[in-house]
Amino acid sequence: MLIKMENITKTYGSLVANDSVNLTLDKGEILAVVGENGAGKSTLMKILYGLEPMNSGRILINDREVEFRSPHDAIAHGIGMVQQHFMLFPPFTAAENIVYAHEPRKGMVFDRRKARQRTLELSRQYGLRIDPDAKVSQCPVGLQQRIEILKVLHQGVDIIIFDEPSAVLTPQEIDDLLQTIRDLKAKGKSIILITHKLNEVMATADRVMVMRSGSVVKEMACKDTSIDEMSFLMVGHQIRPREIEAVEKGRRCLDVRDLVLMGQGSKRVLDSLSLHVDEGEIVGIAGVSGNGQSELIQCITGLRRLSSGQVFIGDADVTNLSASQIRQSGCACIPEDRYLWGSASEATLAENCIMAHYNGNEKLMKRGIFRSKGVAEYAETMMKAYDVRYLSDRQEMHELSGGNAQKLIVAREMFQDSPLLLAAEPTRGIDIGAIDYIHGKLLDKRASGGSVLLISSELSEILELSDRIYVIYEGRIAGEFTRQSAKAEQIGLLMVGGKLND
Amino acid sequence: MTDSSIKALQRKRMLQNILSPVIAILGGLMLGALIMLAVGTSPLYAYRQMFAKSFLDPYYLAQTLVRSAPIMLSGVGAAVAWRAGYINLGMQGQMCVGGLCATLVALFFPVKTPLTTILCFAVGMAAGALWALIPTFLDYKFNASLIITTLMLNYATNYITDYFVAYPIKDTAGDGLAFQSPQIDAAMRFFRFSKKNAMNIGVFVAIAAVVLIYFILKKTRFGYESKITGLNRKFASYGGIKSAKMMFTTMGLSGAICGFAACIEIFGARYRYVNAMFTTTGYAWTGLMAMLIAKYNPLLTLVYSIFLAGLSIGGQALQRAVGLPMQISDIIQCCITLFVSVKIVLDFTVFSKGGKA
Repeated sequence: MLIKMENITKTYGSLVANDSVNLTLDKGEILAVVGENGAGKSTLMKILYGLEPMNSGRILINDREVEFRSPHDAIAHGIGMVQQHFMLFPPFTAAENIVYAHEPRKGMVFDRRKARQRTLELSRQYGLRIDPDAKVSQCPVGLQQRIEILKVLHQGVDIIIFDEPSAVLTPQEIDDLLQTIRDLKAKGKSIILITHKLNEVMATADRVMVMRSGSVVKEMACKDTSIDEMSFLMVGHQIRPREIEAVEKGRRCLDVRDLVLMGQGSKRVLDSLSLHVDEGEIVGIAGVSGNGQSELIQCITGLRRLSSGQVFIGDADVTNLSASQIRQSGCACIPEDRYLWGSASEATLAENCIMAHYNGNEKLMKRGIFRSKGVAEYAETMMKAYDVRYLSDRQEMHELSGGNAQKLIVAREMFQDSPLLLAAEPTRGIDIGAIDYIHGKLLDKRASGGSVLLISSELSEILELSDRIYVIYEGRIAGEFTRQSAKAEQIGLLMVGGKLND
Repeated sequence: MTDSSIKALQRKRMLQNILSPVIAILGGLMLGALIMLAVGTSPLYAYRQMFAKSFLDPYYLAQTLVRSAPIMLSGVGAAVAWRAGYINLGMQGQMCVGGLCATLVALFFPVKTPLTTILCFAVGMAAGALWALIPTFLDYKFNASLIITTLMLNYATNYITDYFVAYPIKDTAGDGLAFQSPQIDAAMRFFRFSKKNAMNIGVFVAIAAVVLIYFILKKTRFGYESKITGLNRKFASYGGIKSAKMMFTTMGLSGAICGFAACIEIFGARYRYVNAMFTTTGYAWTGLMAMLIAKYNPLLTLVYSIFLAGLSIGGQALQRAVGLPMQISDIIQCCITLFVSVKIVLDFTVFSKGGKA
């Protein structure tokens, strides 16, 4: 056994990221670790690579117990990691980046000639073609990754961890990468592949380990499993149907047509994406996070410019209008991250409540000057209506618990009383009581003829609330279901890049 | 988090807000006392002298207040930009340009009446604003760091303005040795209450301006939007606040206030533009210190500005009375800054640890 991780437990405050996890890796094997975001796979790898200390458990390499205080220790024991976000210096050449931190020297100085030579050697040895003199800033993303891989190989490691390596690549680049991974195995390297794309697992791995909520759900040989089984294990919630009254559909409220957003290089973050939401409808977007959901929200709400395509709210073309114009056109938004986008944690509750409410509201502001009493009353009404537990509207936002902070944000956006509401991860990381409350409010909105676009990586939430469901995968709509036709297994399959074959 | 723990937290925060600047100042004074002991002076005597020669005697009190006016204004000017997250360090340059332009108008505008003073102020403020907008534009267009560009521009500005008083508008009256402009017309100067000291209505104008800015920051749309921008730029843009507009308005206003500060000094105290008048006095940096201790609050900035102005006036008096070098008061000021910086860093780290809950 090359690597053995035993009973690894890691907690962040009250959150258990890894709960007695075991992992083994044989020499010359490709192990895939799959799971949804937040399942604990990245944490486990950070522990193995010496980036995070563990609370308990032990790591054995070649049956000898080791202790890693930093990635330096891990590299010394032959473990390297190809990071999701490349650790390269863009103005320097490929060769200079590859030898970085382990430079060949001539006396006291850097030996550039030997660095070039070494790069060409590695390149030949592993069949990874690159130009050693190319500046990293001028290389496409696929090549940058190749440089990153060569850098890890230059460190002389036998075990390579790939952390979501295909996340930033185009389909052609992904094929090349998978070939590279198989070649590395053929050359005797052992590999751990972190991913949530199951077709990649089937194409490369020998063994797969499925994680959910910090624990290993199942471990099996790839030849004994299928994408269907893995996706069920990954997502695997029991869906309890909730009685939802039928609502008469009204006019079209949101219409997104052929939305394209270009990312780095030639990668399309959003690719000819079309969707629509009618009045009296909750439309869900299911997908593993990181497949373009954040960008979609930012495009609709005016925080990002579209590369091409159109967005209509009601009859109005709001394509590339400013955020405030789009808000005025009738779009409110519960943002995906309540502290990153949704609030200012050092501002008071009242200040957080009135964001985007004071324009043209005489109770709150007259001729550009706030009316303290009006503001206090408004904030109180808002927070009381959504059962936010607070003491004073002069409290600062970060003093509220996560659930209460989220309720405040939901209240603020609901109080816009806009025809359209985007709800992105409206219940992420909050307790069951608050989740139920917010779900109820979203359904109330629908019942009163409003339109809700619900973006969530929580499939059970999507299935429970949505009248229609789109599945998003790599910036494209991979499938569309109605409430009646929706099947968790099929959606789960499409979410991870699988194909329906019935 | 339970109700009682929130209440305890709030009480603690309030206590901190009141106590920590006081502790920082006391710490600075104590460290200063140790240094005085080291050079063989009685700190008690020295501090008593300093206090008497800055606040108790009417002549020195007037000196202190007159000196505090440009300090509080440049401090509040900095606060306007800083609290929106835009680090303006070019207050000194903005004062130089504002002061010089106002002086030029005062010298060359054909009509010399009190109304012309208002024109001079307008020009001085516009010049200060424009001067602040140069680095702002560079940041907006080319992503050049505001901190660096505003700071560097100070040095260039000093030379430009000093050139003016050394050549084109040098005062040739008298012995002609000093690098300074001619005096502005008596009709355009601020009213002085007595011949015995420099006390003039400029001080009250400055205080009124600080109160007005306090109101603007606390009560208006601009104040709210700039505060939120400073706290979380993403949240601001999500709420529909235009960040580019906010950057230009806060930086422009900041520069205008600094220009205003320079005008107060010229039309109330000096009556002319003097070589290096805003560099050697260190108004901008003392103002910066005051506003940092005050955590961007204009009213507290006013209080601390008067205190810090008194410290340096008292320090000068100390030199004359006890023969103690004036640098002692500089050292005390620096000790206070040191303590305050430690406090700011601590606040920041404590918050980022506990803020995620």
